[in-house]
Amino acid sequence: MSETIASTPKGHIEVKNFSLAYETIEGAVQAVTDTQIHVKPGEFVSIVGPSGCGKSTLLNAVAGFLKPTTGIVTVDGERVNGPSAERGMVFQQYSLFPWKTVRENVEFGLKMRGMPRSQRERAARTLLGLAGLEAFEKHYPEKLSGGMKQRVGIVRALATGPKVLLLDEPFGALDAQTRVIMQQILTNMWQRLKISVLFVTHDIDEAIFLSDRVYCMTARPGSIKAEIPIPLERPRQQSMMMSSEFLALRRGLMSLIREESLKAMGGEINDMGMQGLSIELHGHSLADVI
Amino acid sequence: MSSPALLRHPEDSMPATAVAEAGPAPAVIAQPTTPPSFGTLALRWYRLNRAGLRATAIGVISLLAFLLVWHLLTTYRVVFFVRFTNVPSPLAVYASFTKAIHDPKFLMHIVLSCRRIFIGFSLAAIVGVPLGLIMGRFKLVHEIIFPVAEVLRPIPAIAWVPMAIMLWPTNEQSIVFITFLGSFFPILVNTLHGMSLVDPVLVRAAQCLGARERSIFREVYFPASLPHIFTGLTVGMGVAWVSLIAAEMISGQYGIGYFTWEAYSLVQYADIALGMIAIGVLGLGSSVLIRGAGRLVMPWRST
Repeated sequence: MSETIASTPKGHIEVKNFSLAYETIEGAVQAVTDTQIHVKPGEFVSIVGPSGCGKSTLLNAVAGFLKPTTGIVTVDGERVNGPSAERGMVFQQYSLFPWKTVRENVEFGLKMRGMPRSQRERAARTLLGLAGLEAFEKHYPEKLSGGMKQRVGIVRALATGPKVLLLDEPFGALDAQTRVIMQQILTNMWQRLKISVLFVTHDIDEAIFLSDRVYCMTARPGSIKAEIPIPLERPRQQSMMMSSEFLALRRGLMSLIREESLKAMGGEINDMGMQGLSIELHGHSLADVI
Repeated sequence: MSSPALLRHPEDSMPATAVAEAGPAPAVIAQPTTPPSFGTLALRWYRLNRAGLRATAIGVISLLAFLLVWHLLTTYRVVFFVRFTNVPSPLAVYASFTKAIHDPKFLMHIVLSCRRIFIGFSLAAIVGVPLGLIMGRFKLVHEIIFPVAEVLRPIPAIAWVPMAIMLWPTNEQSIVFITFLGSFFPILVNTLHGMSLVDPVLVRAAQCLGARERSIFREVYFPASLPHIFTGLTVGMGVAWVSLIAAEMISGQYGIGYFTWEAYSLVQYADIALGMIAIGVLGLGSSVLIRGAGRLVMPWRST
């Protein structure tokens, strides 16, 4: 256990002059352009943006699954050249191995590192205990609820003691109540382990509630539109989401994203047009209006 | 859930939230009660297994009805489009069965057929599964082998009989070869299909847990393909029997297929039906074996 918990923060992520393009028959399609982000050691940073803006692309590049077309991704000064256990990842689809029990899933990273069986079993049990899953260690993932699956996913990613934790809309498939609990579990783990977190979400409340800083991306081709520090004090509580400070942040972020979402939907519908549409719609069918 | 304690004392409250969420889990169901009596246990068992019992009962009745219809058709020598004049009755087949099980020659036919299936099918699995896995993983191997396999695959194993006789020095070898061919392609194709359906996210998950190529192959690709591999083995086993019986009828000297054909030549009508039923039972038995093996190898899929 001692080796999975670090005492000093680590994991300084830097993404510089980053762009990523896909080759298609019509030529190169720019997914992300001219992007700089950084995550300080021990910091919790979220990326929000309209769907298709390339936030997952950016995260996958930090994970090492995608090579940047230009620019460079480094973690603690070392260039990212491919996936590694130093950068743990949590996926929206849980992506637990269905043929492995909960404990075997958590053990996987340790097994890959060559840790002897008895030692990794003990480590996995301890970690599962922390997440309240010790009773389910022998279950296969299929039998678990979504929230439990994702807890296993997070524990599995943390088991190898990574420098950074990357999460790609990890709670997107969960119901609202479970999501709140999961957010708190994640906050707890982050505060204990003091690792850097890069969190991709489309949920603005979630981003503000969890993060020290939020990057807002533009519509495709994605780049950083704004960087918003979240000065809310910690520990944060659910009730904070009603505070004027929180709501002001929310309003600001919301309008930034709405601008981009409208652009992503085609661009020709401007804000005024939307308002006009909603007024016209009262008492009329959509066909009447159009 | 929004209690401040949760955030201030994560050590204490995290398992608590977990248990709260895990409320309806099996761990909670066990209530301390007095052990139920035999009667209630039997009743509960009956309630839980009612569907299974029903299926078994209907299955038995249906088999008995089949025997009865067979008996009536043959006893009255019905001629209605098909002619039951020379078809042996169930009782005649039973008589020839009781005689056959004491006949070492009949048993040898069965043992030989089983041995051919075992060797041919095992070879097909030993070659087909790894080849499918490698073809699924390495594009170049796929590009080289797939076109050849696609041309050879539609050729029924029976069409290989003359070629097999030319290729192999003994009859025994050519029959095993035909059995091998019959089961090889379903196994290969299904393994390939399984490989093509492996969730790439699982591969990514393994990669960012530090897995290298070999571990990914062993820990992700192989287990992920297992359900389809077993589909291939089940289909392959069926085709292996089809091919074996055809080969034995054409070129064999022994085997249950030869026995059935020989019975026709020797006008032993009851033995024809006996041979057919033996083939049916052996085929059923081998697919039950494979299904059992599948359940053993893939415990996460049971229930």
